[in-house]
Amino acid sequence: MPSENCKVLIVDDDSAFRRALRTSLAASGFDVSEARNGEEALAVTRDKPCDIALLDINMPGMGGIETCRKIRSLSPRIGILMLTVRDAEEDKVQALEAGADDFVTKPYRLREMIARLRAVRRRLLPPDEVPAAVLRAGTLELDSERRVVTKSGAEIHLSPKEYDLLSYLFKHQGALLTHSRLLQGVWGAEYGGELEYLRSYVRMLRKKIEDDPSQPEYILTEPWVGYRFRNPADAESPLSDGE
Amino acid sequence: MSSRHALRRAVLVLVRGVALIAAVTAICYRIHLNSASTALLFLIAIVLQSLDCGFWEAAIVSVLAAASLDWFFIDPLFTFTVTHRLDLITLVCLLIVSLVVTRIQARSRSEARESRLQRENMERLYRAGTELFAQAPAATVGPALLRPFWTRFELEAVCLFDHASKEMHELGKSRGGLATKTRDGYISGRNAVYPELGIVVRCLWERGGILGAIGFEGLRNPELLAPALASLAASVLERSRIFRSAAAAAARAQAETLRSAILDALAHEFKTPLATIVTAAGGLSVTGSMSPDQAELAAMIETEAARLGDLTSRLLRLARLDREEVTPRLEPADASEIAQRSARRYTKLWPDRQISFRKNGEVGDVRVDPELMSLAISQLLENACKYSRPDARVLVELSSGENAAAIDVWNDGDPIPTDERSRIFDRFYRGKDAQRTAAGSGLGLYVARKIALAHGGDLSLMDNGAEGVTFRLTLPVSKSEASVAE
Repeated sequence: MPSENCKVLIVDDDSAFRRALRTSLAASGFDVSEARNGEEALAVTRDKPCDIALLDINMPGMGGIETCRKIRSLSPRIGILMLTVRDAEEDKVQALEAGADDFVTKPYRLREMIARLRAVRRRLLPPDEVPAAVLRAGTLELDSERRVVTKSGAEIHLSPKEYDLLSYLFKHQGALLTHSRLLQGVWGAEYGGELEYLRSYVRMLRKKIEDDPSQPEYILTEPWVGYRFRNPADAESPLSDGE
Repeated sequence: MSSRHALRRAVLVLVRGVALIAAVTAICYRIHLNSASTALLFLIAIVLQSLDCGFWEAAIVSVLAAASLDWFFIDPLFTFTVTHRLDLITLVCLLIVSLVVTRIQARSRSEARESRLQRENMERLYRAGTELFAQAPAATVGPALLRPFWTRFELEAVCLFDHASKEMHELGKSRGGLATKTRDGYISGRNAVYPELGIVVRCLWERGGILGAIGFEGLRNPELLAPALASLAASVLERSRIFRSAAAAAARAQAETLRSAILDALAHEFKTPLATIVTAAGGLSVTGSMSPDQAELAAMIETEAARLGDLTSRLLRLARLDREEVTPRLEPADASEIAQRSARRYTKLWPDRQISFRKNGEVGDVRVDPELMSLAISQLLENACKYSRPDARVLVELSSGENAAAIDVWNDGDPIPTDERSRIFDRFYRGKDAQRTAAGSGLGLYVARKIALAHGGDLSLMDNGAEGVTFRLTLPVSKSEASVAE
């Protein structure tokens, strides 16, 4: 995946960190700019639109979450990747609900960061053609016209709700989806807190689509936050069913 | 001293009474008054006499007056013989009326005295209470608690055994071994009275628990005062105890706030430079050409700094679970799947340990919070790997019982010393061997057990002799799977 045209804005109050990340990302082919805080980030976004903003959650002044919300309202198509040191679920959920596409917890390896950046970037690119009726991920195929799912050519029997959930996950491949977003997207706007439904369906889906449900390859858990649908064919997407 | 004084006063009063009767007799005899009039004058004398003396003194004077009336005024004179019925009636009337009047007078005086005493005691009690409650609660211990009792009630000695501090405090000089008797009272939990020594011992109870025992020597009116004084002492002790526990709770809360602040600071101040190191090390490998050795060293920096970051994250997560109340989001889950997944993860993390998983029979669905449960099992695995030798065997075994599922995590390391077995689940406790073998926070097992208990289960260390170490995590098994809404 070429990164040359991808403009990244690093927003962090720690100058040494900005410097290290800037050099590393630039060496990896990204076009990098910097901002020291939320206020500066908004100004930079207005003057020189970028593709992805890397936002630290804990910043003096406006703070990461508020900056995320403002950047999102300013440019709806920008990719936002949050950086956090706290590893607290509430921070992550808050960030995702404020419009972030994904987050990484400091410290992280550079290649993980680049994989996340590219995944976000890929989801932002306009589709080359009209959406295909048949979506593929690894050996799975989802035919949205016939509402049929096959694995290695063999049809898998799914209940209507299981199909809806899998279809939603399929359409948001690589994205981290919070529990409430999944519940609202599949069950309806009035849902949001019924984690038990969601987890039960994910369990059943894993039994049907995964080779080994205890080591899922498609539906990955992001503890206390949500799920991420991974396309095994995508070498850059990390396989971490973290605990 | 006081009894001699009372005897002297009684004798004086008696002498005065006798003199009064003698004077009345002399005057009446001289003016040749008849027996009825003389009886009336005697009666007046007796009433006056009984105004300020005891019953017995007044009764003796009454009998003397009757005798004098008979001897000097009733025919035949100068004998105790009575010939006329009327004279006999006069004599008997004098005796009865004088005795009744004497009795009534004595009773009313005794009641007045008692009431005065009671008022005085109430006042003393009030003053002692005011004095005690005016002191700062933390200072009302030991001699400071006893002094108001000692001074206000003019005790010879007073003694307190404080249950909280297990200390004995004494004021005054006891002649009857007050301290020993007070301690005996505390040990037996019974009140005691030693009338011959003038000692009263009362146990101090509050809300079903013993606060201590208090002993008084030389307390006047002990049946009335001892319970009241003991209640006052108990209230003061309880107030002091509540104050101390409130102060300790406030100190704990302050320590927790400080700890949270330190943890948050640690998260930020520690992980930010680590993030820079990891990023810079990763950046080195992409910025330019490096020799294979340089590339290896850069990769090493990246790997180790990332590991340090993971350790910090895990420690912070444990610390958060330690200070927060664990509220699991329960749902039906496959315990085998959770245990197996943790075992696989640790196989990757600790390639030089032989980690295996075994399942004995079918385990029903358990209601757990999968994330919390994974964390608890991971903690047990972490310990099993961390505190065992390379190539050690580690086994995660799942089995089902009547109402509970058990997840055993076993390793073939050295057994935990007997004196440490009961303490390993304590917060911040680290065994002596553990401190030498590997770094740790002393929170892992504490938090894992907290998670197990929050699920209605338990975490315990099994006794398997010399054959390694087994931790057993039990979970209640749900009878039927919860229905799922479509």
